[in-house]
Amino acid sequence: MKPAPFQYVRASSIDDALAGLAGHGDDAKVLAGGQSLIALMNLRLVRPAVLVDINRLSDLAYIRQENGTLAIGALTRQSAVESSDVIARLCPLMAEAIRFVGHRPIRNRGTVGGNLAHADPTSELPAVAVALGATFVTRSQKGQRTIAADDFFVAPLSTTLASNELLTEVRIPVWPAGQGWAFMEVSPRAGDYALVGVAATLRAADGVCQSGRLVYSGVGPRPIRVAKAEQALVGCSSGEATFREVAEIAAGQVEPSSDFHATADYRRDLVRALTRRALMVALDRCQKGA
Amino acid sequence: MEQVQLTLTVNGTRYSRPVEPRCLLSDFIRHDLGLTGTHVGCEHGVCGMCTVLIDGQTARTCLTFAVQVDGAEITTVEALGTPAKLHPLQQAFWEKHGLQCGYCTPAMLLTAVELLNNNPNPTRNEICEAMSANLCRCTGYQTIVDAVESAAAAMKGEAR
Amino acid sequence: MSAPAVKDHPIHRRWIGQSMKRVEDPRLLTGRGKYIDDIVVPNMAHAAVLRSPHAHARIKKIDASKARALPGVLLVLTGAEAVEQTGPLPCFANPPVAQYCIAVDRVRHVGETVAAVVAESRYIAEDAVDRIEVEYEPLPVVVNPGDASTSKGDAVLHPDRGANNIAHQRTLTFGSYDEDMRSADVIVRRKVRWPRSGAQPMETVGAIASYDEGTRKFTIYANTSMYNYVGWLMAVSLKIPAHKLNIVPTIAGGSFGSKIFTHKVLVLAATLARACGRPVKYVEDRLDNMTSCDNHGSDRIYELELGLKRDGTMLAFGMKVIDDYGAYLQFGVGHHGNAAAQLTGPYRIKSARIELTAVFTNKCQQGAYRGFGSEVNNFALERIVDAAADELGISPVEIRRKNFIQPEQFPYKIPTGNVYDSGNYGAVLDKALEMADYDGWRSRQADARKQGRYIGIGLASCQERSVFSSTEFWFWNHEPGFALTSSPESVNIKIDPTGKAFVTLYSPFWGNSPETMATQIVAEQLTIDPSDIEITYADTDQGLMGTGPGGSRYTVMIAGAIAGAATDIKRKLFKIAGHFLEASEQDLELRDGRVSVRGTDRGMTIPEIALQAYYFRLSLPDDCNSGLDARFTYDHPYTTQPNADRTDLGVFYPIMGHMCHIPIVEIDIETGQLTYLKYVAVHDCGTVVNPMTLAGHVRGGTVQGIGSTMYEHFYYDEQGQLVTANFADYLIPTLKEAPPNIEVGHVVTPSPFTEYGIKGGGEGGRMGVPPALASAVEDALRPFGVKIDTLPITPMKIRDMIRAAQQRKG
Repeated sequence: MKPAPFQYVRASSIDDALAGLAGHGDDAKVLAGGQSLIALMNLRLVRPAVLVDINRLSDLAYIRQENGTLAIGALTRQSAVESSDVIARLCPLMAEAIRFVGHRPIRNRGTVGGNLAHADPTSELPAVAVALGATFVTRSQKGQRTIAADDFFVAPLSTTLASNELLTEVRIPVWPAGQGWAFMEVSPRAGDYALVGVAATLRAADGVCQSGRLVYSGVGPRPIRVAKAEQALVGCSSGEATFREVAEIAAGQVEPSSDFHATADYRRDLVRALTRRALMVALDRCQKGA
Repeated sequence: MEQVQLTLTVNGTRYSRPVEPRCLLSDFIRHDLGLTGTHVGCEHGVCGMCTVLIDGQTARTCLTFAVQVDGAEITTVEALGTPAKLHPLQQAFWEKHGLQCGYCTPAMLLTAVELLNNNPNPTRNEICEAMSANLCRCTGYQTIVDAVESAAAAMKGEAR
Repeated sequence: MSAPAVKDHPIHRRWIGQSMKRVEDPRLLTGRGKYIDDIVVPNMAHAAVLRSPHAHARIKKIDASKARALPGVLLVLTGAEAVEQTGPLPCFANPPVAQYCIAVDRVRHVGETVAAVVAESRYIAEDAVDRIEVEYEPLPVVVNPGDASTSKGDAVLHPDRGANNIAHQRTLTFGSYDEDMRSADVIVRRKVRWPRSGAQPMETVGAIASYDEGTRKFTIYANTSMYNYVGWLMAVSLKIPAHKLNIVPTIAGGSFGSKIFTHKVLVLAATLARACGRPVKYVEDRLDNMTSCDNHGSDRIYELELGLKRDGTMLAFGMKVIDDYGAYLQFGVGHHGNAAAQLTGPYRIKSARIELTAVFTNKCQQGAYRGFGSEVNNFALERIVDAAADELGISPVEIRRKNFIQPEQFPYKIPTGNVYDSGNYGAVLDKALEMADYDGWRSRQADARKQGRYIGIGLASCQERSVFSSTEFWFWNHEPGFALTSSPESVNIKIDPTGKAFVTLYSPFWGNSPETMATQIVAEQLTIDPSDIEITYADTDQGLMGTGPGGSRYTVMIAGAIAGAATDIKRKLFKIAGHFLEASEQDLELRDGRVSVRGTDRGMTIPEIALQAYYFRLSLPDDCNSGLDARFTYDHPYTTQPNADRTDLGVFYPIMGHMCHIPIVEIDIETGQLTYLKYVAVHDCGTVVNPMTLAGHVRGGTVQGIGSTMYEHFYYDEQGQLVTANFADYLIPTLKEAPPNIEVGHVVTPSPFTEYGIKGGGEGGRMGVPPALASAVEDALRPFGVKIDTLPITPMKIRDMIRAAQQRKG
C-alpha cells in the first residue's frame, strides 16, 4: 500500500506554491497536513502528478483577532486550534468541534485549511464554517479573492477553489456575546468520520429564541444548513418543546443518502436527536453567558 | 527516480540521506534507518501503529512523507529506554500487563509520552481520550490505561 | 484410550499461581521485538501482488510486458507460470479443494492473487502491479449462501467437487433426539444469523524466503504457528523433499487463530524466491490481509430448536446450519467439529442433532478465529435458552441453574461423545451474580425504566473448551482422508554446566505468553529461579512435534511436556547427587535449586551437579552419560476415536472451562448507542498459572467479542465486493468502545487430567460476549419487544428495531 510516484515541490513562499500549482491543472495537489490526502495516495485512489508541499509556509500558521474578526491561517494545525485560548474565547463552537476531528496525532499534522479544502461532507470544520458564516481567503497568481463558506463547498471533495488556487486564511466573525453553541456528532467509533454532526448556535432572551443556526454534516453532499428549522426557532419559547418541534422539522428537511454504515432513516433519527440535544446545550450556554 | 536530500534528527542522531519524495516516513524510519520499533499496521491512518513524535508531537508516519520532516526532530520508541533500564512508562506497561503481542506498544508508549508531557496529572478520562488514538487487538485497553495512570504517578514522584 | 488416571495436584506451589511479570516484555517494550517485517536478509527483494477486482471471473489473458519493463522489477509471475514449479496449497478437507498461491485460470473472490511481482522495493513492486493488464471474463457471482444448492453452470466454483456449490452436507444425530423432541412439552424455535468477522491482528502475515542453490534448500522466516506440526506440507506444495525446507519462526504481532498456518503467504514467498533467484520478502499489507487472508471467521445461518419440559428442563437441542465458507475449504468443516465439543453447553441436554450444509460462495475463505466455531455455537445455544426462558416465563438465571451439569456428575459425557472433565457451573454463576450485584441492578433497572431510561442486564453461561485434539478436523468428512489423531507438544530442557536452564519451545510466540508460562512451570518443576531460565524457539530443522497454540491448548500442553522432561532431569540430578552424597535416591529431595538428603544439611546445588554431569564423566555413576538434558513430547491427555457412524464423536476436547458474563448496559433509544454501566466476566480455567496474564486474555477476548457483537463485519455486496476492506469501515473497537472496567473473577475447578489441573483460557472472552451482550440489548429493549438474532448489533440496527416497534404500535 504505497503511493505512486509524484513530482515534489517544496514551496518556500506563497508565490512559490502558486508557481508550483500553475500549469498543472488538477494533476497538482497541495500537500498540507496530508492526513486525508496521503491515506488516499497510499491506497492509490489519488495519484497527483505534482505535490506542492506548503508545510514550510509558517507565516500561514496563525490565530489572531483583527477588528472583530478571527483570522486563522490555513496552515494552522488542528491541535493548535484545540489548545488555543483565543479560539476558546472567540470561537467556542470550533473549539468544541475540533476535538471530533480524528485523533490527536491526526490533529497534530492536519491543518485547518487542509480540512476545509478537502471538503469531506462528514467533516466537522466545514459545518462549523458554514454555521458561523466564515469567509475563505484564497490566493492565485491572479491575486486574492474571498469566498463565503456557503459558496465554497460544492460536493464531496469538491469546492469552488480553483486548481491553481491556494486557501490561505479563514475569517470568522468574533463570537457575539450571549450566543450559545453546541457541536455534537455520532460516528461509528470515536474519531471516525461522522454519520451525522450538528453545529448549532442559539440566541435567546427572556425565554424566547431570537435566532439560531443549524448546520449538519453527513446528511448531504456538503454541509447542510436547514433554514426552515432555524426560522422555526425565531420567536418561540426557548425550551425542550420548541426544540423538539424544530428537531422534527430538521429531520424532515434533510435528504441524507444511505450507505453501509447508516441508512437515510437512521441519519434522520440522528438529526432529530442531535438537534434537540444541541439546542438544549446551546440554550444552557446562552443563559450562562447572558 | 527523483531523490531529495533529507536531513533530520532521530533520537538525537543526525542523519542525511537521499530519499524518494513518495517514501513514507514509516518506511524511512524502519527500512532506511533500521529502527524497527516503529510498526506498520494499516498504512491508511487508522490503526496508529506507526506513531512517533515529530518535534515532540505524536504523528502517524504512514500519513507523512519523509521529505516533509526535513530538519525535524523525531523520537521513536528506541529512545525511551533499554531492556536494562526501562523508561517509567515502559516499566508501568510491564507491571500492569499493558501489552500482549507488543505490536501496538511503541505507539501506545509515545502517545502516553506526549500526553504526560502536556499534562503530567491526567484524569482517567483524559488518559482514555489520548490513548484511544491507537488500536490494540490484545489487551482490551484497560491495563494500558492502568499503566499510564501508574506511570504518571511514578513520574511525578521522580520529579520531586 | 479410556479416561486417564486422575492426577494428584500438589497444593504448595512457589511459581504457579503468581502474577509474574512477563518474560517476553522487555524486548517488546523497547521496540526490539523482531517481527517478520523487521527481519532483513542480505540481497532481499520485495514482493507485491495483483488482486482480483472481480468476485468470480475467468482469467483470459495476462499481459505483464509493461510491468516487466519497469526498472527495478525482477520478476512478474502469473498463476500459469507458478504452477509449473509449485503445486496446490495444503488442504485439510476431504476431498480436497484445489487452491494455488496464485490463481491459475479463475478467480473466485475479490482480492484473490492474480499475479505477483518481485522488485527492488515494495514501491516499485506496486508500480509494476499497476501495469499488469488482465483480461477477465466475468462469471456469475454467488454471494447468498442460500443460493448454493441451486447454483449451476458457471456459477459453480469448484465443478470438480460437485454440480452445485454445496461444499459439505451431513446430518449427525446424537442420542434419542426424535423421541426426546416428541416427549417435550414445548419446542422453542429460533433463527439466528452470525455474520463473518475476523481476527485482524495489528500485524499482518509475512514471510521471507531464501533459496540456496548450493544446498537446494529453502529457508523461510515466517510468523506462522503450526510449522512444527504440518509445516512440511508446504514442502509438498513446493514439490521439494521436506528436509529441503527450514521454517524459522518469528514472533507474531497478534494472531487470535489467524496465523495458524499462513500457507498462502509462505508458499508464495518461496515460489517467488526460487523463480527470481533472490531472497524475497512478502508481507501482506492491510488490504491483502483483509481481502485474501486465509482466516475470515464463521458465517452462519441457524434454524434452532430446543425441546423442554414445561418446568424448564431441557431435553434436546437441534439445528439446521448453513455455513458460508467462502471460495475455499482450507480446514474442512473443522469449525463444526469444534462446536460439537460443547454443543449442548453447560446443560444436561440428552440428545442433539446438527444438519450441516457448508457452502462455497465468492468470498474470502474461512480459517481460524478465536473460538473456531464454538463461539458461534455458544451464541446460538444461549440465544435459544433465553428464548425458552421468555416463553416459559422462567428467569434467565433459573433456567440455567436448573439445567446445569452438577459438580458430582463429572467427568460428564455429552450427547456428541465428548467428555467434560470437571466443572462447577453454579459456583461460577453465583460469583458472577454477586460481583454484578444482579438483583440490585434489576431494581435499578425498574426505577430507570420509570424515568424513560433503558437499562439492560445480560447473562450468558458458556463453555470454553480447551486443548483440542486433531480428530475435530476430519470426523465430519464422509471419508476421513488423513485421519490424524496426534496433537502433541514438545519441549527440550538443557541444564548447562553452570546450572542455567535452556528451554526450547517448538511453537512460536503469537501474543500469548509462552516464555512466561514455560518459565513459571520450569521454575516450579526444577526449583530454579526464573532469572536463570532462558527460552528459545526451534525452527523446523531442530523441530520436535509441536502443534502450537490454538484451541486454548498451549499452557496445558507445555505444562505436560515440561513435567515430562523435568522428571527425566530430576532423575539424573538425584542419581548423580545420590552418588556423590552416598545417599539412597529415596532419601533425597529437590528444594530451592538444591538436592539434599532429607533431614540433613548435606546436599548439592544444581550448578554443582551440572558441572559434574558435563565434565567429570569418570566421577559419575557407571550408567550415567555426560550432559544434563531431556526432551519430552506430551500427547493430548485424553482423546478417543470417533465411532464409524459418527453417533459418537469420541473424546476430543475434554478440558472444559466455563464462564459467566454479565454486561449491564444502557441504550440511548434515540440514537441506538450503547454505554456500559458494568461488565463482569467470571471464568473457570482450572488452576491458574498466572492470574495477570489470564485476566489479560479475558479482557482482551471480551473486547474482541464486543467487536464481533457490536461493530465488525466483513460485508460483501451483491457483486461480491468486500465493502469493509479497510480499517475505516471494518470497525475494530477503540478504547472508547470498550467497557471502562471489565471486572474479572475466577473460580478454580482443577482438571483431573492435566498437569497442575490447568485448563486453557485463551479464547474464553470472545466466546462469551456475543450471547451476553445480545441478551443485555434485548433486555434493555424489552418494552419494545425486540429480539436480537443477528450481529453486529449496530446502533443503526437498534434504531431500526425500535422504529419498527414504534410503527407497529402506531
